Amino acid sequence: MPQQLAIIVLVDVGNALEAKSLEDNTYLFDNMKLQGSENEGTGKLVTAINGSYWSDGSQASEQVLNWLPYSLGSLPPTVPRGYEVERARQTDQKALADLEALVNRPAGQGADPSADLAQIQRSVGTRVKSNRRNRGPAAAKILDLTGKVVPADSSAAHSYPAPVITDIYGEAVDEKIIYPAEYGSPDLVTDGWYWSATVDTSRPGTYAYTMKIQLHKLVESGTEALWEPVNLTCESWLRITSEPKRNGFTGAGLGLLPLS
Amino acid sequence: MTTKAKPRTTTPRITNKRPISISAVVDAVGVLASLSTRGHVYLYDTNRTAGSTGFGTEQLRTKVKAGDTLLWSPLALECEAYVAIDGIEIDPAVAEPVRKVYPGTDVSYWTATVKSLPGEEVPYRIRYRVGTRTEPVTSDQSSFLIG
Repeated sequence: MPQQLAIIVLVDVGNALEAKSLEDNTYLFDNMKLQGSENEGTGKLVTAINGSYWSDGSQASEQVLNWLPYSLGSLPPTVPRGYEVERARQTDQKALADLEALVNRPAGQGADPSADLAQIQRSVGTRVKSNRRNRGPAAAKILDLTGKVVPADSSAAHSYPAPVITDIYGEAVDEKIIYPAEYGSPDLVTDGWYWSATVDTSRPGTYAYTMKIQLHKLVESGTEALWEPVNLTCESWLRITSEPKRNGFTGAGLGLLPLS
Repeated sequence: MTTKAKPRTTTPRITNKRPISISAVVDAVGVLASLSTRGHVYLYDTNRTAGSTGFGTEQLRTKVKAGDTLLWSPLALECEAYVAIDGIEIDPAVAEPVRKVYPGTDVSYWTATVKSLPGEEVPYRIRYRVGTRTEPVTSDQSSFLIG
């Protein structure tokens, strides 16, 4: 049966940037544990792909792989799409409302307006300049791990953008076992892009492939904050098996179901 | 003629110590099929370099100090599945986790500050809400905070 197989690539972005390596900082999962995948939740995942063939030897089913890169210790992928941009807009509106309240306040009332103004400036947060040369994160503000904006003068820890797969290559691609490509999608969790591949299951064996993954490091250039791309690679494996097409109910050859 | 990119001096933004994030990757289908988390929950934290162990199992041992901020969040193995944390059972003398939501959403996380640590490791259990099941499923094995 054609099947959609998902491979989750969970990256500890903070530690990977520090170590400049994805080794020991990447955990891979798929939904094929019961079908024979090994080393789930480690950096050494071997994804089982169980193909089937017709009696003339031709491929009987098409297996499709999808990759989902996630960040460990960042905002979760389940917050609404474009959440960082939405938070930037919300905090801008809040600051404008606060500013209006400050302007409309009768003179002589309340505390020092400059202190209030400084407070509003902090609540606006810090905008990160977008870098159009790379397909990096959209221009938004620095958010902390709980979704709040981080003021410019604060050194609170920030959330990292999700990792981005920029290429899939290696043995499995060279041997024409998988045909990976990046697709646009209305998918809610991957920001509209995902990598997918169809698999040729006619040549059983274990094949390695390499993912090129882009992480983003927050840097400061003068007074501007920028997401600087950092490209790293990570390897994983596919184990292809193939067996004759059979009836899933009876385990026997293809024919009519034994209905009485 | 070639144009060279203008050299730009950048410095990494200096940040305080990051909160320790503990992520539970939940195989929702597996948990619902067996009504147990055994073999279907993988825990990770962001403090491996400080000495956390047990990655990818339920028995994650997270290295903490008094005063550390902890943040628990779940991640469903299949993106269509619903998974949330219903509660965290831990000695209240060590930490009192509370549920919070990301502003403007109903996506929740749990957070706590480590108050104090006894000499030995502190066990805790996470209750999960999975799919449309109304009763939560409590973790099969304890996770730990270690000093």
